Amino acid sequence: MRVRGTDSRGAALWNRLLALGLWLLAIALAQPTPNTPPPDLSPRVFEIARALRCPVCQGESAAESNAGIAVEMRRIIAEQLAEGKSEAEIRQFFVQRYGDWILYEPPARGLTLWVWLSPLIGLGLLSFGLWRYLSRVKAQAKAPLNDVSEEEITRLEAELNTERSS
Amino acid sequence: MLRFWPIWVLLLGGLFYWGMQRPNPNELKSVLVGKPAPSFSLPLLEPYRAQYGPEMGIGERVEKPVLLNIWASWCIPCRTEAPLLERYHQQYKDQVLFLGVNVQDKESEALKFVQQYGLTFPSVYDGRGRVGIEYGYYGVPETFVIDRNGNVLARHAGELTEAQLQGYLRQVLQ
Repeated sequence: MRVRGTDSRGAALWNRLLALGLWLLAIALAQPTPNTPPPDLSPRVFEIARALRCPVCQGESAAESNAGIAVEMRRIIAEQLAEGKSEAEIRQFFVQRYGDWILYEPPARGLTLWVWLSPLIGLGLLSFGLWRYLSRVKAQAKAPLNDVSEEEITRLEAELNTERSS
Repeated sequence: MLRFWPIWVLLLGGLFYWGMQRPNPNELKSVLVGKPAPSFSLPLLEPYRAQYGPEMGIGERVEKPVLLNIWASWCIPCRTEAPLLERYHQQYKDQVLFLGVNVQDKESEALKFVQQYGLTFPSVYDGRGRVGIEYGYYGVPETFVIDRNGNVLARHAGELTEAQLQGYLRQVLQ
């Protein structure tokens, strides 16, 4: 009886696990994968749209937004790809209408060149400061004893004497 | 390096000040300013067809200065702007063409809007907002001022105030 009871409990557990597994699978299948393109537009359209701002959105690209203007931008990209235009030509189409602002990555020229150069300049300044500091510390460590002032020597000797006497 | 701290403070302060000088969104300059206005021709909303024909738009040549207003019925600022545009259209219709472009909207809703505000200046229908993208628009309402030569003189993003509208009209009629 005990054996049969264990068997039935085991079977019930397996059934529950199976149900849970099926439930999880159903949830996984029901969830849309984020940012997957709808079937009518190719992933290439979204790849190009990802580099372009959605003009009416806050911090969303033309690939992520569902605003009417972003949908239309994706449609324009799809149409231009079908016409055989290159990615650079499509990007240029939007730059001609919106300026460089429409691009998520500012071009490395003019004023926006600073955006690209500033991390390098910052890193250079930081390295220079660190080098100056370290060379000063090293120079101090290497300094001969006669560079130490009389006053300093007297103070150190007094300190050592106090330690010895205590 | 630390000896020059006043210079660093001044430099950082200057950089901060420069960064804060962000343009007012209403004064966003368009890359089209000074360039020919993009051409288009779109179907007119039904109430205007009897007077203006089936289609209207901007050609390579314009007969008179144009005030191109991009609007939608769901846009709240467009509701306060529409009566102002209508009033100035009545006053300036012989000198300036007021042309509306209804974008990203349902035609039936656009017709209701036109009727509600009694708009007599023509409006074309661009459901997908493609003309808006051609003009590099950021949203609605947005107004483009086009001079007699067909060049974009100014772009105004957002709702127009009476003073701003008067300013643009003065500028375009000079």
